[in-house]
Amino acid sequence: MKQDYGNREMIFAALSGALYTIFGIFQIAEGFGINTGMPEMIFIPGDIPGGSCLMVLGAVFLYGLKEMLQGINAGVSFVYVGILMSLVFMAVYLLVMGGNMLDSIIVPEDYEGWNIMEAFRPGIYLGFLPLMGMLCWKDRFSLHEVLVFREGA
Amino acid sequence: MTEKITVALAGNPNVGKTSIFNAITGSKQHVGNWPGVTVERKMGKRVHNDVEMEIVDLPGTYSLTAYSLDEIIARDFIIEEKPHIVIQVIDATNLERNLYLTTQLMELGAKLVIALNMTDLALAKGDSIDISKMQEYLEVPVISTVGSRGGGIEGLLDAVTDELRKTRPTENIFTYDAGIEKRSGEIETILNSDPYFAHYPARWFSMKLLEGDESIIKKAVESDRYPEIREVLDKTDAYSLESRIADQRYRTIQTMLRQVCNINTNRLSGSDMVDRVVTNKYLGIPIFLSFMWAAFELTFSFATPFMNMIDVFFGWLAEAAANAISIPWLASLVGEGIIAGVGSVVIFLPNILLLFFMISLMEDSGYMARAAFIMDKVMSRTGLHGKSFIPLVMGFGCNVPAIMATRTIEDSRDRLVTILVAPFISCGARLPVYVLLAGTFFGRDAGLVIFGLYALGILVALLSARLMRSTVIRGEDTPFIMELPSYKLPTLKGSAIHMWERGKIYLKKAGSIILVGVVGVWLLASIPAPGSGGTFASGEIYGTTNSVIGFTGQLIEPLVAPLGFDWRIAVALVFGVVAKEIVVGSMGVLYGAGEDEESLSNILAAGAMTPLAGLGLMVFTLLYVPCFACIGVIKRETGSWKWTLFQLLYGTTLAWMLAFLVFQVGSRTGLLA
Repeated sequence: MKQDYGNREMIFAALSGALYTIFGIFQIAEGFGINTGMPEMIFIPGDIPGGSCLMVLGAVFLYGLKEMLQGINAGVSFVYVGILMSLVFMAVYLLVMGGNMLDSIIVPEDYEGWNIMEAFRPGIYLGFLPLMGMLCWKDRFSLHEVLVFREGA
Repeated sequence: MTEKITVALAGNPNVGKTSIFNAITGSKQHVGNWPGVTVERKMGKRVHNDVEMEIVDLPGTYSLTAYSLDEIIARDFIIEEKPHIVIQVIDATNLERNLYLTTQLMELGAKLVIALNMTDLALAKGDSIDISKMQEYLEVPVISTVGSRGGGIEGLLDAVTDELRKTRPTENIFTYDAGIEKRSGEIETILNSDPYFAHYPARWFSMKLLEGDESIIKKAVESDRYPEIREVLDKTDAYSLESRIADQRYRTIQTMLRQVCNINTNRLSGSDMVDRVVTNKYLGIPIFLSFMWAAFELTFSFATPFMNMIDVFFGWLAEAAANAISIPWLASLVGEGIIAGVGSVVIFLPNILLLFFMISLMEDSGYMARAAFIMDKVMSRTGLHGKSFIPLVMGFGCNVPAIMATRTIEDSRDRLVTILVAPFISCGARLPVYVLLAGTFFGRDAGLVIFGLYALGILVALLSARLMRSTVIRGEDTPFIMELPSYKLPTLKGSAIHMWERGKIYLKKAGSIILVGVVGVWLLASIPAPGSGGTFASGEIYGTTNSVIGFTGQLIEPLVAPLGFDWRIAVALVFGVVAKEIVVGSMGVLYGAGEDEESLSNILAAGAMTPLAGLGLMVFTLLYVPCFACIGVIKRETGSWKWTLFQLLYGTTLAWMLAFLVFQVGSRTGLLA
């Protein structure tokens, strides 16, 4: 029975799942006022709902990994959908960053001492990994084509 | 000479009926209402093969029972207006569910043509459909169409004109078991002997009577022969018969499907894969909440620069008006009244448009239907129906269409509860109040506070529904059945059109009811109070306790003083009943800040209001009496002043209690001090 996924998908799911979950935890911890020492190093802000969203993305990848490890062929769905969701969040954060930049030009007095990197969120740089995944499996991103088999072909 | 005919377009929801309608009629469309109700009725014209067709788009329905208003409209049109042809649009990727309606249309005796739509998607999924076999089996023309690209439309219209000239009836295609056939035969004999029933297809009418269809029984009661009909009906159990009839219809459909198509169930398309994830029992709700949070984050953060641009523009306009007008009271009316009032509403247009855009993206992609599906479990625990979810989500835009959208809920109790709790869902008009107060008192956490208010609205709606279902509106829960449409990639143009259609209403409101409202506020703020002795619109009167508005505000101030509100807030809340957008505009006038949101924010932050009172005001605005338009639609949709008053009293009491708790508990515990 042929499977529609291989080691690449499983490694990708493990790596993305771990990264999104860890960064989500850091972001939530910062949100609760716990100093992780990360904000200066890798731009992790204190943001409880934003961190929860990263954890949800991580959970999607890890759930896919769990199913693939169990030999469930359709588990790879979680990898592809996780990629799409990560890119949606990356786009959201980029737009927010663009909005902040534009606003700093319109009302500079409100942005004294503000740095563009303050708006550079983990959702943006973590998104480069799913972006690579999307480029790697671009033929898998069609809504109506048959992509995988429920039970394996 | 051109022959004129009426063609009805029927079908399940989300089968591409609108794209077929648009492809047939092009720009020759007009929109009205179905008689006696406010469900939209779309009509269009097309001339084909010397036949002038008036195409009537019927509401999307899954069947022709009398469970919902849409179903009643669709079937009454076919029975009473007797269109020459009924085109049923069928989703080729979901034949079994769609063909159920076909069986009912056939029993109605309608001359049917089937538009087998989305055949491209069915092929892509690996399904194969033998259309000629299907046509042979059903004995009606079946035409393959791809409505989104206009494919197969000419063939469909050819089939309509060909069918017009045929005399073969399509009635009585399906046969049921001997027991049902015996009873149906007995009733048909009675119906055929009474001219009163001549208008109705006897076979269909008898089946509906056996199914216990209330509106058909009401019609039959009018006949002198009803006692004989009742005698036959008394020998049967309508409830079990209805499920037996449905069961046998499905069995016939399945038999046919096995012969005419090969549906691939082992393959997963991209759409199926997305569904595996977003409807997952553990991840479905967290994913939905993440998307909602992303939508709010974008709505508030990305809109800020555009709000500032509008703010700068209105500031310039107010200054220009003040400089150009030499009469003081007129300068005050134009500058502080009209420009300030309207400007304070228009400034929030970017937020409103972005929020509508996000909702449109979710609706157009097909995700909103999934959201309803995953939320059904939560909804049913609170006494709401899964179908209540979409109207409630629409409430984030405006509560008026949300309440109207409850018409898709079949059960009258479920519908009533949804109508009564829908105003607790925070609409776009309340947003200006949140943006102002959260921005003033909560700085960078403003987004989180606003998200919390939206969440509070949902929580209050759900808990209130539970309370109502266990006290004043008791009854059995009804099952949730909803077809999940295929995912579609939303187009930027389509979502932008939807966003503009809804945003336009907000702008129109700013130019009409809000304009009148703010002029009213200005007028009352300018007229000296009895005994104060100042001059109209002068500095010592305008917006002070010496004005009529100030005098009135002081009278009602004791009612809201325990919530930390002063007379200005009391007045702003009263005007907010006209339209919630006026609350901020009124505050601008009464605090002497004009249209400048920043000035108002600075005045409030400088001590005119405490952060706790600000939080309480947001909670109060969320829950108290909805706007006039909303009150009107609650009355119309419930048909009762009793329930309308109940909603107003319940909401305002709850608003007062929660705002009281926020202020008093917060003050005593030193929270937000």
